[in-house]
Amino acid sequence: MGLQAYLTLAAVVFCIGLFGVITRRNTIGILLGIELMLNSVNINLVAFSRFSGDVTGMIFTVFTICITVTEAALGLAIVILLFRIRRTVMADHLDLLKG
Amino acid sequence: MNGEALAFWALATVLVGSALAVVLTKNLFHAVLWLALGLTGTAGVFLLLDAEFLAAVQLLLYAGGIVTIVVFAIVVTERLVGERLSQTSRHLAAGAAASIALAWALVSAVWQRPLALVRAPMAEDLTQIIGDTVQTRFVLPFELLALLMLAGLMSAIYFARPED
Amino acid sequence: MTDAGLHTLIALLLHALSFLVLAVVFPFRRLGRPAAWFSILCAAGSLVAAAIAWNHGVGTVSRVVWTWLPSGGQTLATVGVLADGESTIMLVLVALIAFLVQLYSIGYLSEEPPASLGRYYAYQALFAFSMMGVVLAPNLLQLFICWELVGLCSYLLIGYWYYKPEAARAAVKAFWTTKLGDVGLAIGIVMLWRQAGTFDLTEMRVLVESGALPVAGLSIITFCIYLGAMGKSAQFPLHVWLPDAMEGPTPVSALIHAATMVTAGVYLLLRLEWLFALTPDVLVIVAWIGAFTALLAAVLACAQDDIKRVLAYSTVSQLGYMMTAIGAGFATAGFFHLLTHGIFKALLFLGAGAVIHAVHSNDLQHMGGLARRMPQTTIVFLIGTLSLAGIPLFGGFLSKEEILGAVWAGGLVGPFALLMLVAFLTAFYMFRVVFLAFFGRSGGPALAGSTAPHSHDVGGGHDHSHVPHDPPISMSLPLWILALASVAIGLYFMVAGPALPFGPAEPEFEAPGWLMPAAVSVAVAGILLAWLTYQQRTINAASLAAAFGPIRHAALRKFWLDDLFEGLYGRVLLAFSRLIGWIDRYIVDGVLNVVSAWTLTSGDDLRTMQSGRAQDYVYGVAVGLVVVLIWVRLG
Repeated sequence: MGLQAYLTLAAVVFCIGLFGVITRRNTIGILLGIELMLNSVNINLVAFSRFSGDVTGMIFTVFTICITVTEAALGLAIVILLFRIRRTVMADHLDLLKG
Repeated sequence: MNGEALAFWALATVLVGSALAVVLTKNLFHAVLWLALGLTGTAGVFLLLDAEFLAAVQLLLYAGGIVTIVVFAIVVTERLVGERLSQTSRHLAAGAAASIALAWALVSAVWQRPLALVRAPMAEDLTQIIGDTVQTRFVLPFELLALLMLAGLMSAIYFARPED
Repeated sequence: MTDAGLHTLIALLLHALSFLVLAVVFPFRRLGRPAAWFSILCAAGSLVAAAIAWNHGVGTVSRVVWTWLPSGGQTLATVGVLADGESTIMLVLVALIAFLVQLYSIGYLSEEPPASLGRYYAYQALFAFSMMGVVLAPNLLQLFICWELVGLCSYLLIGYWYYKPEAARAAVKAFWTTKLGDVGLAIGIVMLWRQAGTFDLTEMRVLVESGALPVAGLSIITFCIYLGAMGKSAQFPLHVWLPDAMEGPTPVSALIHAATMVTAGVYLLLRLEWLFALTPDVLVIVAWIGAFTALLAAVLACAQDDIKRVLAYSTVSQLGYMMTAIGAGFATAGFFHLLTHGIFKALLFLGAGAVIHAVHSNDLQHMGGLARRMPQTTIVFLIGTLSLAGIPLFGGFLSKEEILGAVWAGGLVGPFALLMLVAFLTAFYMFRVVFLAFFGRSGGPALAGSTAPHSHDVGGGHDHSHVPHDPPISMSLPLWILALASVAIGLYFMVAGPALPFGPAEPEFEAPGWLMPAAVSVAVAGILLAWLTYQQRTINAASLAAAFGPIRHAALRKFWLDDLFEGLYGRVLLAFSRLIGWIDRYIVDGVLNVVSAWTLTSGDDLRTMQSGRAQDYVYGVAVGLVVVLIWVRLG
């Protein structure tokens, strides 16, 4: 399969992840959507790297995965902290910045 | 259809299907499990692209680590809440419209011009090369990454410390 | 700079100096009499300079200008003087009358408080300066500025006794009425500038004489300029301010409402004679309005009991004479009459001032038999009256002849007939005044010490048992000078014929042979009628009045012109301004208020976009990203 197929796959997964971020009420559900989006980015990177012959893309992917892990850990820590303070994990209750 | 195409289509189906399941299931715990499946599918795609090291890393960190963390988080918050966390979604139509539009825009951009159909030649032992390159050309980002992860770890522990 | 130019400049600037000193150094001004003498001194110097300038100026043209407003590399406007035959002789008239009036005023206003006297002389100096500015203006812009200054001084001087409500009203009325004409003048000047490309009179004249100025649309321009002259020179219907302006002190009336300011309109038309020659249709209008004004004012003068009002209407009438001559196309004749009229009308006013000062009343019915007690005043007043009536040997005779000849030569038969009638009426009403005031039996309760003297501009507190007498030397000297001048002019032109020291050397027209006897006999007839009615009492004045009943009634109401103006200004203008006010409040402000209300409500509606939930913002980002991608794809 050509490069375009892999890119298309990544684009579709990205948009599904975006849909999840927009519509999910639970904060952890939003985090799952973010994971999907980051995953699709990785697929993109590796596909480009393979089809152009440059290994840099794969190294980029290693870094991305590591940082994603860190971000997930921190995000969930924040969710737990948020729950302790506001007694809820529902994202639509967190509207203190309402104008 | 050759083997590679077959594998691609199978993995694509798994990936897309589990992604849809992640965002659409009502039960959060099920969503996490579907995510695990999707991440495994991604690992398969990496294998298809000759990136064995990355496939391993993906399985270890993503499918293993992150899923575990999320499960723990769910358990903790569910316990604290004291009930089953249910999922109801809102603004499905608007979100779907935006996502589909974006997907269409991206896909049409990708298919605008013909891109590479044949893989470029690459070395056999990619793992070796990745290791070498990280330690030589990208050693600085590597060290900074370690620092970043340390900082993240410490702050996560600090955030989630028991109240006293 | 030739001598003429230099001396006119000196004449102009001496009055400016006098005004500046009196205006700025107010302790000096508040002293009163010293300030007055300073101003009189400057006026005397100005007169000398003007006389020298006239001596040099006859037959030459001297233009001294400084650049004032540069514009796009060229000069838009200049300031300076233009000294030729016409302007120098007019300058002499202005300087002479200004000097004599200032001298006269020392005696007339002797009972004024010093600070007020200083104020009076500051106004007088400013007036003289601005009138000279009009006379000497080399371009229309400076002329207009000085024109407006003259109008301001008129307002200030009419309203000198500002604590009297009639004086204040009269000053405002004068200002407003002349301002109406000035609007026309301003429009005319600007339109003329657009056509000619310059304000300068000399350049414009060159353009006109070489035929370079487009004649299309020029009629409107000249008519607009004529409107300005109409206001200042009290032509119908803008004449209504002049009789009311008599509320000011009599020397003021002599200066600005007889000899100088009101003649500015005539002078303007004279200056622009070559321009008006291109639009004969406007000149016809000028002539007819002039003749009609002359007749209207003469009729009104016959019905007045206030001596100053008679003289005021007489001035309006004579101004009509001058305008008619200009309308006939012979501006030089009108100018000639302007000069002689300036002298004898000033004389008449100052003489009337002496009478008022002595009798403490303006009312003719309170006077009588003054010839016995005030012989000097009687003689000079009689000289002035004979000049005005146009009797040979006196000043006004030849100039009136010139005007009648000019109107006849211009082919304007209707105005000519009107002017002959006016000559009759002029002699009649002036001699009515003479007979009522100076001859006949002494009458009037004022002399016997009545309770309420109807004094309009009394100089001060003479006690009522005082017998009327000739004025002091400060007042009688100017009277004698003017009287002698009037007689001298009359004699000179009897001998020299109509050879004017300015304008074309040869006479421009031949007056028909029957003109002179006809004019003289008309004047004598008027004198005869007045003598029979008021001196001999053979004709009963009351029945004479009754014979002209409706006209007299209308004349007493001033032909309802004042009421018409009041109605226009009061009702129409106020209604219009109320309408404008409504539009401003509800439409202009309303639009703004609606816009601001919309802003507030739309702001409130837009607030709902800030839901405070991060997911909605992500949604917004996604939509924005889609829009950008589509835009890039399409572009």
